Amino acid sequence: MTWLLIFAMGLVVFLNRYAFLEPRLPLRLSSNARQFLGFAVPGMLTAICGPIIFLPGHELDLSLTNPYLLGSLVAIGLVLLTRSVLLSMLASMLIFFVLRSWLT
Amino acid sequence: MPLSLAVAPWGLLAGSMAIEANLSAWEGQGLSAIVFAGAAQLVAIGMLKGGANLFSILLTTLLLTSQHLLYGLTMRPVLSGQPLRWRLGLGFLLTDEFFALTSRYDRQTFNRWYALGVGLTFYVAWNLFTLAGILLGRNIPHLDRLGLDFSIVATFVALIAPLVRNLPTVVCVAVSLLCSVLFSYWHWETALVASGLLGMGAGFACQKLTGGRS
Repeated sequence: MTWLLIFAMGLVVFLNRYAFLEPRLPLRLSSNARQFLGFAVPGMLTAICGPIIFLPGHELDLSLTNPYLLGSLVAIGLVLLTRSVLLSMLASMLIFFVLRSWLT
Repeated sequence: MPLSLAVAPWGLLAGSMAIEANLSAWEGQGLSAIVFAGAAQLVAIGMLKGGANLFSILLTTLLLTSQHLLYGLTMRPVLSGQPLRWRLGLGFLLTDEFFALTSRYDRQTFNRWYALGVGLTFYVAWNLFTLAGILLGRNIPHLDRLGLDFSIVATFVALIAPLVRNLPTVVCVAVSLLCSVLFSYWHWETALVASGLLGMGAGFACQKLTGGRS
């Protein structure tokens, strides 16, 4: 089952990458389709983060002392200030771990 | 070369998360060797852990990696004239980082050996860091209680925040965030895909209504 998933995922990702490299494929994406796909990164990545931040351990936590929420706010602030994804990611992880041992 | 260091935390994470989600070492390495897509791998592992079904994982993979369609479209003038085995090989190696380094060349200046070198460097680095993550995940007990899932949030948040520069993107992120928390709270199996699509749709609709360009 897991191997089936791995190979199927590999195939899906490869087809995504290869599709437009194939010279026999004549079409171009319509402008609407391209605009819609342009929202894939913010839309999908946010949907993945939402439950991790607000539902840690599958329980709703909307409080301001939620370390996942505070860590995310730190990451947003850092990346807007420094423009460095890697730095913001590492620094906010550090702060998250400190906060978590503090608040729990 | 330094850019391949940037994939280190991701690779470590992909390896240790796979172990955390009770995948075998071979399955964890297989994901990196066969799929070779950071975000999609982490999300698939997360969904697997959450008990999502095969179809919803594949659909999420398709949506998450749809940016590669745009890369392919951009690289088309350069790559579609190459022989089949070059198209297949470079197509497999077409990642975000690969695209960042090779997309600036046009048909005259493009060197397929250079592109192959870049792609293979990322591929090897990615798999080595995955292996390191697998070994760490196996030898450090309770790695799952360290809150490693936050590193996904940290990375994605850091990637999303600079993109949020106009109203449609704000709407997209807000709708997606609200829906994902709500749907997950309701234990919908397709919570992530549904809220991602709704967010994308909302952003797209907002863009159409305000008449703005992307």
